Order: sequence, then C-alpha cells, then structure tokens
Amino acid sequence: MLLETEGLTKYFGGLAAVFGLEMSIREGEIVGMIGPNGAGKTTVFNLITGFLRPSAGRILFDGKDISGKKPHLIAKMGIGRTFQLAYLFPDFTVFENIVTSFNLYPKSGFWEALFKAPSYRRKERYILDQAREILRLVGLEGVKKVLGRNLPHGYQKLLTMARALAIKPKLLLLDEPIAGMSLEEINYAMSVIEKIRGQGVTILLVEHNMRIMALCDRVIVINFGHKVAEGSMEEVRQNQEVIEAYFGRGHAA
Amino acid sequence: MLNGERITRGRRNWIRPAVYASLLIILFLLPLFVDSVYYLHTFIISLIYTIAACSLRTVMISGQISIAHAGFMGFGAYVSSILAKELNWTPWLTILLGGISATIVGVLAGYPLTRVRAIYFSMVSLFVGLAIVALIGVFANYTGGDIGLIGIPPLPDIKIPGLPDINFLRSRIPYYYFFLVLTVLSLLILYSLENSRIGMSWKAIAQSYLVASSVGINESGFRVLALAVGCFFAGIAGAGYAHYNMVLTRSSFGFLSSVNLLIYVLVGGTGSFAGPIIGTTVLVIVPEIFRWMKTFAPFVFGGIMLFVVFFMPQGIAGLFEQLKTKVVQFQQRKTLRDVT
Repeated sequence: MLLETEGLTKYFGGLAAVFGLEMSIREGEIVGMIGPNGAGKTTVFNLITGFLRPSAGRILFDGKDISGKKPHLIAKMGIGRTFQLAYLFPDFTVFENIVTSFNLYPKSGFWEALFKAPSYRRKERYILDQAREILRLVGLEGVKKVLGRNLPHGYQKLLTMARALAIKPKLLLLDEPIAGMSLEEINYAMSVIEKIRGQGVTILLVEHNMRIMALCDRVIVINFGHKVAEGSMEEVRQNQEVIEAYFGRGHAA
Repeated sequence: MLNGERITRGRRNWIRPAVYASLLIILFLLPLFVDSVYYLHTFIISLIYTIAACSLRTVMISGQISIAHAGFMGFGAYVSSILAKELNWTPWLTILLGGISATIVGVLAGYPLTRVRAIYFSMVSLFVGLAIVALIGVFANYTGGDIGLIGIPPLPDIKIPGLPDINFLRSRIPYYYFFLVLTVLSLLILYSLENSRIGMSWKAIAQSYLVASSVGINESGFRVLALAVGCFFAGIAGAGYAHYNMVLTRSSFGFLSSVNLLIYVLVGGTGSFAGPIIGTTVLVIVPEIFRWMKTFAPFVFGGIMLFVVFFMPQGIAGLFEQLKTKVVQFQQRKTLRDVT
C-alpha cells in the first residue's frame, strides 16, 4: 500500500468534517474521490498533505506515519498536490513557476547559492533541463514566458499540475483538476493525467465532473466525512447509499 | 544561473551591469570633485542607509514587511560600540560582531514571528523594534540610556608601509571610501542571494505560502533566513554608523527610523533591486538640498512620498518596469493569440 489512512478524523469545533476514514491506495492506481459538496474531500487532501493536523487517526505513506508533519516535509517524502483554485505564483512566468518548484532534488545549500559555486550551477542546469521536460510533458512550451497571472484558466490548471510534478512525487493529489474547463481542455487535461500516470505516479483525485472517472481504476465515495462506498464506477453507481448521498432518500433509480 | 531576469529576458543583459559600473566609477571619483565636509557627510549617511534599506528589502521580498529594522541597526550599533569602548577591541572586528549579534536577535525574534503573516507580521515586528530600543534603556550603565553613548572609538588608522597613514579623524574621505566599499560588498551579497534559488524561494513564499510549502519550500525556515540576512546587514550598517558618528542616541533607532527605512524602500520600489538604492539617495539627499528652508524640509519629504504613491505605485525604480510591463503584456497577448 502506498497510502493508508486509519481512523482519520478531523473536527472543526464540534463538526466532524472527516470521521474515522479508512482508505488505502495501491501503487500505480488512479483513484477518484467523489462526494457531494461539503463531504470532506478537500479536508482529506489537506490532512494528507499536512496543511491540517488530524484530530485523531493515522496516515501512513510508504509504511511511514506522516500524520501531523509539516507540508514541506510531506512534499519532500513524495506527495505532490494541486489546489482546488488555480493557486500559482502569479508574478513568475510559467517556466519560473516550475523551476522554483524544484526544491528537493537536487538541493543547494546557502553558501553554494551565495557564491554561485560550480556545484550550484551544475544543479541549476540540471533543474532547467528537467523543467523543460515537464513543460513538454504538460504541453505548456508555447506559453513558457507568460506570467502566471496572465494565463487563461485552463492553462493555469495545467501549470499547477506541472508544478506538482517538479517535486518528483510518488503520489499526486489533484483537487478538481478539470473544474471550469471547456470540453476540449478537459480532453487534453485527461490525456496529460494519463501521461503522468504513465511515468509511474500514483494519483488520487477529487472531481465533481464525472467525465474524469473514465480514467479512474477505483472510486471512493465520501459523505459527511465517512466513506460511503468504494469500487469501480459501475459498482458505485448502483450503490443505494451513494444514490441517497447525492439525491436524498426515495430516489432509488 | 537561475535568475528570473535571465530566464525571461535573455538579451540586453549588458545594459544593467554597464549602468552599475559607470555609477560605481563616478562614486569612486566623487571625493575629487566634492571637498565640502558637509556634502561628504550627506553621502556617507546615504550610503549607510542604502545598506540598511537594501537589507530591509531582502526581508520584504520574502513577504515580511518589518517595522523593526532600525531597531536591529541599533542593536548592532550598540553592541559594536560597547565592545570597542569597554573592551578596547578593534572596531574592524566589532563591526562584524555587531552584524552577527543583530543576526542572532533577528533569528530569535524571527521564529515566533513566522507564526504571523502579512499585516500581522508587521504589527508584531513593530513591538520587536520597540523592545530593542527599550532594552538599550535597560542597560543604561553601558549604553548611556537616554543621555546617549559617547566616546565611541573611531576606526583606527590604517598603516601601510611606504605610504602615509590613513587617519579617519583628519578628513571624511577615508570614511567615505570605507562606507563605499562596505556598501558595494553588502549589495553584491544581497544581489547574489536574491538572484539565486534562495531568492526565488523568498519571492515564492511572498506570492503564495500555500503553494510554496506544497512544493517543499520550508516556509518558516526561509522566512527566518531572510530575516537573518537582513538583520546582519542592518547590524553592520548600524555599527558602521556608530564608529563614524561616535555618538549614539537610542531614539535614532526607534519607530520613526524604522518607518523611514520602509519609506525609502517603498518610494524607491520593492520590485527591483535598485529600488531602495534610488529611494534612499532621493530621500536622504533631496531634503538636504532643501535644508535652507529648514522648517519646510519635512514637507518636501512628504511631497515626494505622496507624488510617488499617486503616480508611481511601484516606486521610482518601478517606473521603468511599469513601461516595460506594458510592452511585455502586449507581446504576451500576441503569444496567447497565436497559441490558442
């Protein structure tokens, strides 16, 4: 198992946003997480990536307990993420956005950077090459000099994925990767996600647009912080609890 | 290698170094043309504040607008003065120690400060600055308290065999060169840091600390580092000032001085490295020119500030950038049209 949560719980005041969540992700999978608005999907993401501390329960990544660690340390262990909104560095160009995101492999020290030592220059050259490769993979070469703030929404979303790739993640968490995209952009973004998986990256994604579920090997349905159902898209669709979660009682299909 | 400028604008790289080089030559030849003690004094003061303002900008590019910077200057100044005066250590060493001690205080204050961001950081930092000034008052036995610290040793003579001794008391010119060299060295280090991966990380944190930590940038670590670097040079500048002025009063490192430093940076423009240099030069030297109308000098200062705030929101240095952005934006719109 690449990622496992055991009794993961998060309270906001008296409200249990996530309660006793048990889930596991195998290496190489694409897993979709769905659920109605406010079900706790993004909270789960924030818990896994260290932006929130769990109130109870454990998160195991690669067999190591990562619950409550700081975000940059979790990134270092190989969990990349994107945000629901297209968060990026608005005053950096597309290329700089990606280059800045290389902080872990290779890592430069303070004095190295200050004196621009040969070792530092070598590492930076390596990073520039890698960044170009990511640009190619995601298909943003054409806009590499455009400032983040001036990018159209679809491109911004792609850029956030590209940025997350810079930390060489083993597990990539995508929070609504195709939200707000046009049909054309969705097809393109899905092909990019497919390519990322092709590089051996395990993916967990949250999405309201069911179109993307075609990519997923498995779907986890969450409601009120609980896991309601799990399985293939077909299985989940037949599940009584899932139907109730989305449409309320008495809507048996 | 990694440098925002170089990635985005590959050509015309020689213009900037050429401007800096010619400016440097003029500054080195300046004492040949200016023999007025008063003007040299003004230049020296503006050099000292240039170091302080540039080091403040280094803190600011990591998203931390500090209102404690003059306090750190003061800390370095007092540490250096007391070590030189009471222990008879050579000022060459104590100036460095002044910088190091300011760094230590900056790091100690910096860790708790990483818990607050943006305007809240500024508010808490204000109290750090006030605390340092209060601390100087507490140790009045050594610091002179409100009376001020007098009898600070000047820089000792430099003896070079075969040449006449360089005496720092006989004329201002040796001090001018000392501060010029100190400024150039400090700015080179700050420039190199800003245009390295470290500087990129600082700017990344300022733009979005969430995204920065999601790609493995240690937010608190880099923020403390920025503060440490900034405080080191503030301490050095303060210590240098102490051995030049030979008298220190703690009120000169209080709230108003910190705000003044901030104004130097903002008027010059935070967006580019030249900003605080321009801002300090303009705001230190111009009021001196209008000194003959004494009572109105603050109005000139305020007038410049208002003018800049209204007409150059990115500061004086940003004016050039503002125009350039217009051009770049035009080109980018074209690129996007071609791609989409």
